[in-house]
Amino acid sequence: MLVVRQREPNAVVDAAMIKIDNVSKIFETKRDRHHVAITDVSLAVAEGEFVSILGPSGCGKSTLLYVVGGFVMPSTGSVTVNGRPVTGPGPDRGPVFQEFALFPWKTVLGNVMYGLEQTGTATAEARLRARELIARVHLSAYENFYPKELSGGMKQRVALARTLAYRPSILLMDEPFGALDAHTRTRLQNDLLEIWERDRKTVLFVTHGVEEAVFLSDRVAIMTRSPGRIKEVISIDLPRPRDRATLLLDRRYQDLIVQIEQLMDVPAEEQHR
Amino acid sequence: MSGRLDAIPGLAPLIAFIALLIAWEATARAIGIEGLPPASQALVQVPAILGDPESLLNIAASLRRMAIGFALALCFAIPVGLTMGRSRRIAAFFNPLLMVIYPVPKAALMPIIMLWLGVGDASKTLVIFLGVTLPIIYHSYQGSRAVEEKILWSAAAMGMGPLARLTRIVLPAALPEILVGCRTGLVLALITMVTSEMIARQTGVGNILFNSLDMAQYDTVYAMILIIGGLGYALDFAFERLHRRLVGWAAPAYDIVVGTT
Repeated sequence: MLVVRQREPNAVVDAAMIKIDNVSKIFETKRDRHHVAITDVSLAVAEGEFVSILGPSGCGKSTLLYVVGGFVMPSTGSVTVNGRPVTGPGPDRGPVFQEFALFPWKTVLGNVMYGLEQTGTATAEARLRARELIARVHLSAYENFYPKELSGGMKQRVALARTLAYRPSILLMDEPFGALDAHTRTRLQNDLLEIWERDRKTVLFVTHGVEEAVFLSDRVAIMTRSPGRIKEVISIDLPRPRDRATLLLDRRYQDLIVQIEQLMDVPAEEQHR
Repeated sequence: MSGRLDAIPGLAPLIAFIALLIAWEATARAIGIEGLPPASQALVQVPAILGDPESLLNIAASLRRMAIGFALALCFAIPVGLTMGRSRRIAAFFNPLLMVIYPVPKAALMPIIMLWLGVGDASKTLVIFLGVTLPIIYHSYQGSRAVEEKILWSAAAMGMGPLARLTRIVLPAALPEILVGCRTGLVLALITMVTSEMIARQTGVGNILFNSLDMAQYDTVYAMILIIGGLGYALDFAFERLHRRLVGWAAPAYDIVVGTT
């Protein structure tokens, strides 16, 4: 099967908040051994857009996100955010990781306040803003709990609040609900959409769940494995606000799921061998 | 049974201590040699030593050296261990050195150090410093290495630079492990403190202990051993309190301290 990489419409490229240009990342594993994580990936994300990067595990989708975050430097190519090239991490791009990555020595309140204090907010103001965000993720009763006392879903809510607190213009979400059980995942997806619909931040969301990607996103970039590249970008033209129960019965939603699953079905290894 | 023992705090260790004293008393009376006086005779000497101003000055001198040596070791070992854990190059530089130094009994260096620094406080403090440094470096290194990368990334995204991440993220995250090293270090400090005074006798706990041994005052010798044991127990108890305050957020991870000189 011939794979045609879809070109971005020009309007999107011009208004792009995140511009990924021909990014490749090669890891040197051992002496003389290389692992090509991603090859020649280009993608543009407009301001306020929710874009998912969907692919099987090991396709380099997280690496792509880390490059945008400035945590990992690309081997070739470049990423610009708001026209400025990315040279390292910054508070304009807030990460949320699958591993939660909370500060275990801080309480819920301390965790959410941490980024605010780092970015120069006065303590009293930081506390107010932190409390507001903790309320938004429904954890007000757990303000003084330590991370080890919380469930996985609660930890990820704290991580989300901690990142939202310092007002990044872009959210970089790295399989944020991957470590949660199905029920908790669904609830957090709903909460995320609710929060996102309120302030429409630009979101880059890495996942391997087709339904999750379709439910949340404006566009879904499908990646293939070894070497990781973007195979196709699908627009999810479903109306918002979205409601899971309605969507499940929606013909268009079902078609998108089937279409994307078929695109993912072709194992990349076989394609390239 | 264990439920009843737990009911009163401190009851179990008290019973263990009394049992030890009874066993000691019985053995000493049964064997009846001069070098092992019964527990009762040694115990009588404890208040006598603690009531003597000169002995107290000796004990205070020992503790002062130990505190200085321990504090210097903390200031040196924690930064070294933490940077080693975050930089492969620095670890590659220090690791072989540590491997060479680790098996050397630090108190055995005392005669050499005395050649440089004399028999005074400096030599003894340095030996204590050397004895304490390695376990604290080692545990700081392990703790620092184990800090999740994503935690550091989260901090970097908040705009924290490398130095701020080391002091404000790696240090608190590694603190439970650092404290394990400190607890071992505390025991080693006490051991090297006494041994250093055995080799260079001037003042100190070891001075009283080994001089009494030379003069065959065995009850004083054993009383001093009891006092040293008591010091160790008190230090460990104080450390536990501090530990709970500092890292109550982490699950309790250890109970037994293993240390060698």
